[in-house]
Amino acid sequence: MTRNLSRVLTDYGMIFVLALLCAFFSIATYSEQSPTGEAAARQVAAALIANFGKAPRVLIAARDQADETLFANKLEAALSASGAKLLAVVKGEPRDARAALQKIVSEGQSLDVIAGTRTTAAWLVFADLKAEFPTLGDPQLVQPRTEKWPNFLKSENLVNIANQIAVIAIIAIGMTMVIITGGIDLSVGSLIALSAVLAARFIRDYAGAEQASALGMTLAGSAAVLICGLIGAFSGGMITVFGIPPFIVTLAMMLVGSGLAYLLAAGQSIYQLPDSFVWLGRGEGFARIPNAVLLMLILYGAAHVLMSRMRLGRHLYAVGGNREAARLSGVPVQRVLMFAYIASALLAGLGGVIMASQLKSGSATYGNMYELYVIAAVVVGGTSLSGGEGKMFGTLIGAFTIAVIQNGMNLTNVESYTQKVVLGGVILGAVLLDSLNVSGGGNDSRKGPADALNRGTNDRASG
Amino acid sequence: MKHTFWCLFTSTLLCLLGCGKSDDTVKPSGALPTVVAPVTSKGTIGVSLLTLDNPFFKVIGDNITAEGKKLGYETIVVSGDKDVAKQSNQIKDFIVKKVSAIVLSPCDSKSIIPVIQEANEAGIPVFTVDIPCNEPGVKIATQVATDNYGGGKEAGHAMIEALGEAGGKVAILHFKQAESCLLRVKGFREVIDAHNQSAASKIELVTELESGGAKDQGYKAAEDSLQAHADLRGIFAINDPAALGARAALEKAGKADQVLIVGFDGQPEGKQAIKEGKIYADPIQFPDKMGVEIVAAIVKHSKGEELPPQMLIPTSLYRKADAEADPDLK
Repeated sequence: MTRNLSRVLTDYGMIFVLALLCAFFSIATYSEQSPTGEAAARQVAAALIANFGKAPRVLIAARDQADETLFANKLEAALSASGAKLLAVVKGEPRDARAALQKIVSEGQSLDVIAGTRTTAAWLVFADLKAEFPTLGDPQLVQPRTEKWPNFLKSENLVNIANQIAVIAIIAIGMTMVIITGGIDLSVGSLIALSAVLAARFIRDYAGAEQASALGMTLAGSAAVLICGLIGAFSGGMITVFGIPPFIVTLAMMLVGSGLAYLLAAGQSIYQLPDSFVWLGRGEGFARIPNAVLLMLILYGAAHVLMSRMRLGRHLYAVGGNREAARLSGVPVQRVLMFAYIASALLAGLGGVIMASQLKSGSATYGNMYELYVIAAVVVGGTSLSGGEGKMFGTLIGAFTIAVIQNGMNLTNVESYTQKVVLGGVILGAVLLDSLNVSGGGNDSRKGPADALNRGTNDRASG
Repeated sequence: MKHTFWCLFTSTLLCLLGCGKSDDTVKPSGALPTVVAPVTSKGTIGVSLLTLDNPFFKVIGDNITAEGKKLGYETIVVSGDKDVAKQSNQIKDFIVKKVSAIVLSPCDSKSIIPVIQEANEAGIPVFTVDIPCNEPGVKIATQVATDNYGGGKEAGHAMIEALGEAGGKVAILHFKQAESCLLRVKGFREVIDAHNQSAASKIELVTELESGGAKDQGYKAAEDSLQAHADLRGIFAINDPAALGARAALEKAGKADQVLIVGFDGQPEGKQAIKEGKIYADPIQFPDKMGVEIVAAIVKHSKGEELPPQMLIPTSLYRKADAEADPDLK
């Protein structure tokens, strides 16, 4: 058991880095929260009834937003029942509050209480009432008590992080396979743009633009993904048939893909898409998890099975570990490489469609530099750039690590220049930690294909 | 080993997805709400600018921070790096953080719509600076920008002044993707056309070339126009980098004295060039004023005062004499 644990530590040290980062940002973003909704309304109503007698004259201020409207409605109901006199209920912007105050003054009435949420109570329109509305009386501002909770750990933020990283994490699946074979795919960023533009154009030109049906959109999206797959097949062909290094081939395809995207989009955003197109990128399905995140989890599950339970997965490791030995042991090296590049391109295409859906438009500017983030996610996740080694879930952890750092820094007011420095430092630190772990654990970092194949059977036996 | 891994993985995932609690289930403690006097912290302003590589936007960001601090706001300034997906994520983070106002210069005015709508739904006011987002279905509190059309007119007057009685051929180095540059050239052309109605020797706008708003492309475009029009007398470049690129081409061709340049922007490098006589004049923009105006607009909005849909900051013409009197230039 202890041996197992230390192996886990060696293999998944990144989980602890991620947990550490989460803990750090939870502490750093521990701050006052402004409660809204029903509980806050009950709280404020109780305070009003207790402190301001039977019939205080009240103005309720809330923003035009689901939680705060609920707050206003519940508070209104509770106060009406208690006999308070509601002079105005504002559900909107500060200027609506000003209009309401002016109306109260013009009717010659005065006000005892302004009840609001933390946000509306901070509106400057209420800051200097004595000077601006001298005849209003001396209304007291009442707002719910704050409570402390880390912004980082709010469920909306955690969903937010998962949603933000979904595209990169999905593409990183394909990149992990390619890197495990000892290659690299630099074209994924451009393929995001190409696929987003293609999907948007197909919908605009052939599926009826804003009136496109679900079927039309599915076909348009699938066509875009398949075209990216063809480009991946072309890259794979150049690499396997002509033996051109993957770095060069995919660098060229990066330029080709980006150029094609700009040509097809004519330098514009294509935005004539139906509202329902955002279902994939922003809709929520099972258990309030966004569809893109759900798709990401399913794909990771499938990729994990492929890499650890299926022959093709073992072959990918074998090809990356020692290509010649793999060929001699009967691994169909060329077909395995083709698979990796096609899978990478297909997933990049899928990422592009998801991004188009999230942003409800397609533009050739999407995905710029994404290949680097994707590669960073894979490498942070413990996959070796020299091939033959790596795990799918490591990549998922790597992607989340990057997302957590970016999100955490946005939440803790770190400005952009510093963000880049920190992100670069953390990527380097994570990889360093990983390599220290590997050498400290006495693992030989290079494994031959036979090892890889054996490891597969061993894992199966112990799992 | 597999089991241990799965335990760890599931617990991490749970930690990530499960243990967050949503706002409305936060403890409904029976304690009394606070009755407060004037509020001391006014909240946070979230700012996402097109890029921070360009000093123009850096100055806007710095001034929002400084002015906000003076008035009791915290600020966070991030760069969208011209990547609209990245900018969307930044805005989403601002929404989660419940900032009191969002300021942005959109990386793409179409693709940014969904996330502005999310901010609208969350009841957070959105302000745009420099680059507008005039799309249906989004609510923008106000837009602060340079009066590019007026600036273009000033550039036209500067060109007339530079060429004097003689008139002559003028080339325009354009950057057509940018709405702001279209307005600059529009204003410039109108002034030149009006001048030609009455003037004895006309100013002829012979060519309009793409400069990308960058030095290298401005250099090429100026070289090309010198090839086509050897007797060129003036160049209007839509920003400083394009103007400086054009100047380099003139120096290489030995025509630096024959052709006069009017630029736009007033970045430090451009101002220095004006001082050295390399550029005749610039209508200069005031990014510092834009930052200050944005914060003023946020305060006005929070006070419930009416805001105009657009607040234009006029440019002012900056010539050699201004540069010599400028304490910022060495």
